[in-house]
Amino acid sequence: MAKVLERKPLTFAEKTYLPQVLGGLKITFKNMLGKKVTMEYPEERPNIPDNYRGVPTLVHDPNGREKCVSCQLCEFVCPPKAIRITPGSIPEGDEHEHVEKAPQDFEINMLRCIYCGMCQEVCPEEAIFLQDVYSLVGTSREELVFHKKKLYELGGTRPDQHYKWDVKKAAEEEALAGNGHH
Amino acid sequence: MDIVEILLKILFAILVVVVIMTIAAYSVLAERKVASWIQGRVGPNRTALPGLSAIPVLGRFLVRMGMWQPLADGVKFLFKEDPLPGHVKKWYYCLAPVVALVPSLSTVAVLPFGAYWVNGVEYPLVLANVDIGILFILAISSLTVYGIVMAGWAANSKYPYFGSIRSSAQMISYELAMGMSVIPVFMWANGPATGFGDLTLFGVVAAQKDLWLGIWMPLPAFVFLVSLFAETNRLPFDMPESETELVGGFHTEYGSFKFGLFFVGEYAAMAIGSAVFVVLFLGGWNFLPTFGFLPDWVANPWATWGWFGSVVSVLFFIGKTLTFIFLFIWVRWTLPRFRYDQVMNLGWKYLVPLAVASIIIYAIVIALWDTAVTVDHIKPETFGPAPQ
Amino acid sequence: MPATTKEVDMQDVAARGADYGEELHGEEMTLNMGPSHPATHGVLRLRLKLDGDFITECDPVIGYLHRGDEKIAENMTYNQFVPYTDRLDYLAPLANNVCYAIAVEKLANLEVPPRCQTIRIICCELARISSHLLGLGVYGMDTGAMTTFLYTFTEREKLYSLFEELTGARFTTSYTRIGGVARDIPEGWLGRVSNFLNQFEPKIDELDNLLTRNKIFLDRTKDIAIISREDAIAYAFTGPNLRASGVDSDLRRDRPYCGYEDYDFEVPIGTVGDAYDRYLVRMEEVRQSVRIVRQAIDKMPEGPYFAEDAKKIHVPPKAKVLTSMEELIQNFMIVTEGPQMPAGEVYFEAENPKGILGFFIHSKGGGVPFRLKIRAPSFCSLSILPKIAKGLMMSDVPVVLGSFDFVMGECDR
Repeated sequence: MAKVLERKPLTFAEKTYLPQVLGGLKITFKNMLGKKVTMEYPEERPNIPDNYRGVPTLVHDPNGREKCVSCQLCEFVCPPKAIRITPGSIPEGDEHEHVEKAPQDFEINMLRCIYCGMCQEVCPEEAIFLQDVYSLVGTSREELVFHKKKLYELGGTRPDQHYKWDVKKAAEEEALAGNGHH
Repeated sequence: MDIVEILLKILFAILVVVVIMTIAAYSVLAERKVASWIQGRVGPNRTALPGLSAIPVLGRFLVRMGMWQPLADGVKFLFKEDPLPGHVKKWYYCLAPVVALVPSLSTVAVLPFGAYWVNGVEYPLVLANVDIGILFILAISSLTVYGIVMAGWAANSKYPYFGSIRSSAQMISYELAMGMSVIPVFMWANGPATGFGDLTLFGVVAAQKDLWLGIWMPLPAFVFLVSLFAETNRLPFDMPESETELVGGFHTEYGSFKFGLFFVGEYAAMAIGSAVFVVLFLGGWNFLPTFGFLPDWVANPWATWGWFGSVVSVLFFIGKTLTFIFLFIWVRWTLPRFRYDQVMNLGWKYLVPLAVASIIIYAIVIALWDTAVTVDHIKPETFGPAPQ
Repeated sequence: MPATTKEVDMQDVAARGADYGEELHGEEMTLNMGPSHPATHGVLRLRLKLDGDFITECDPVIGYLHRGDEKIAENMTYNQFVPYTDRLDYLAPLANNVCYAIAVEKLANLEVPPRCQTIRIICCELARISSHLLGLGVYGMDTGAMTTFLYTFTEREKLYSLFEELTGARFTTSYTRIGGVARDIPEGWLGRVSNFLNQFEPKIDELDNLLTRNKIFLDRTKDIAIISREDAIAYAFTGPNLRASGVDSDLRRDRPYCGYEDYDFEVPIGTVGDAYDRYLVRMEEVRQSVRIVRQAIDKMPEGPYFAEDAKKIHVPPKAKVLTSMEELIQNFMIVTEGPQMPAGEVYFEAENPKGILGFFIHSKGGGVPFRLKIRAPSFCSLSILPKIAKGLMMSDVPVVLGSFDFVMGECDR
């Protein structure tokens, strides 16, 4: 259905500019008395919804284990190639030894990051999260390349639903114990 | 004139300039505040002086109102690096802001802004109550355009050049309508109202005791107001600046203190323009029109209060002027801008004929009035007070 | 002292004046407008030749925002390119996302579930509202009415809060994925959209009152830069700019995608094709979009928000990736190799806020396009500038540019 837009010619009154000028003044005056929409930033802070895509961070699970296992999937998917992971293995005797790997270094170049959230989306460990940090400043390029320590600091701890590796460890231990029974 | 009187006059002049500059500076603030209120924003609300903002309730309010912002702006303009682009014509480039500001400040000299009463006779508070009042104002205020043209020329760059060319054309066109629209005012002021007179602005105010001219001369008032918008380069006629097409117009190449001068000059012109409008059409410092039948004290209830009455009259006058400055700002943030040729059309094809028509109409009306009412009753004592 | 006479050589002033007559044609001035100029909305540069205030020649120079998006696309998987589509028409990223996703799904011959389609329609139309709001506001600002710009921005800000809730970002939404959308709509979001629409309509009326019949605005826009029906078609105009010239064409109605055939809306068309008509068409489109969003909210179906059976295209849900080996492998495969597409060529175009955005994808199979070509409406709109700018005044340039409502991110790609 097409709707042809009519262009009604202006009436004589409208041609004198005045009615529209006065009408406009009325509208702006009404708005002047109305509520202000400005958020006065440092005092007021925006409401950050749940799924907000802020600065990417790495998280610990509630047991204090770093969740990242340096599978490098986020490094692979990152469209602007902002992530660089140096994989490392977990030293023997560590309490998380049962997890195969942990990153030796995890580098996110915040000057490249576009906050698309793909890393979080593909992460098979729920280790990387775009959380609610939205204000990011640095005075040099080096400062804005976030390394593992900084990322974990920003990330904090997130709840874990599955404790995948702990389950695995328990299963292994159980199997070991089971073997003993046999 | 002895030396004391001269010194007093100088002191007086400095005082007036200070007041005008303050009003101009605070008009800038008002512009920013009103614009932001209209647009649902808050506007400048952070600038605080240490200490002063610590006043319990009022201090916080003053800070929220951005009361110290003009001060901060001024300091910024003063202490910023003053760039002098390599391609400009230096002498004119430096001269232009001054030329733009001086005329607006000079016109204050003949502008009456209050009154004092000695034995029931009203005398104007004015730096120089010269006979040619309005002519002086029209003549001097049109010199502002030289500042703009000079700026555009000296900047040696295309956008400022466009701005200044447009500005000169616009100023010349609207001068005409403006000048003609005040003729009925003086016909009235020198005819039926006071019998005879001159071109002093005080005479005009005195003639408005009974009826403010804006009420029964809406047409000249309208033409004058529109021309005033054009003369002060305010939207919808801000051709010299029109930031969407000319970037900044004539002041594109200016920065720091020189830009500040232009800026203050523009607002000073606006303040003076509003004051002139108030004098010509809104009864100056008169409280309310008497309409011929109300008691005389309604026009100036403070006439018997001595020096305090004078102060009140000045304040009342400034209050009326500020209302007009608000109107200027309000209109600016409501309307779109004309195109340059449409401004010309409007000026020459509508405003000038309207002004001419109003001259003719009011000439006839005043002549009839004079013949029918005034001439018979004219007596020497009804003449207005002689100029000081 | 004897009087001496000195002969002064006086030139014949009249003759000189007569000579001048021949030379008084004046010079043409070349004026460079942009790439950084308030009227050129981004980084368009215009080389103008001016005769006085009139334009004799206008030469748009583009490419200041060229990022090589098409080449970038050849180097990444289909899903990875989604954030790049945000940056084409960065005023309506959601619509770009949807158009790109549909193009790839067409290549894969993939059907998305109805809920996903309805979400996408809401996204498209909200993006249209937001884009047109900016277009109209900036148009107002180009004619000098700064306040309209702030009013439309206030509304856009509210829309962005809704986008933020839906997608996690205010501006660069990256919301769609091949075979679905990134996440389901949050709880209560539809109600909030509905609330927004309710308070939005009076606001658009306010804008209407400020501009539509304001004589100053009409003076500036009426009969400026008239583009005839033929020219509009010849220069491949699309979207509101084409409809303003009186061509009744709208892909949402003519070649429905995403289930647009189930919605009831009108396509506004103009009569003259001047800058004012382009304003009117946008104004009406905003109102029609509101209608469409309302209908979509009413009929939002339940069900999955991504194509569940597209195992080689859409990554499996997170809960399964974390618990099941099968899905974990699938997750890795899709991410590293990309969603598996058949070989072939496909072209899909969608009615975006600025006009028809088209994606041509040449696939040789696998997860990476062999060639991806983007057809951007803004580029076509700008290509007519040399023709229509002739004879306009310099002050008309902002108005004409504003009426085209172009985006350089899309034009330069």
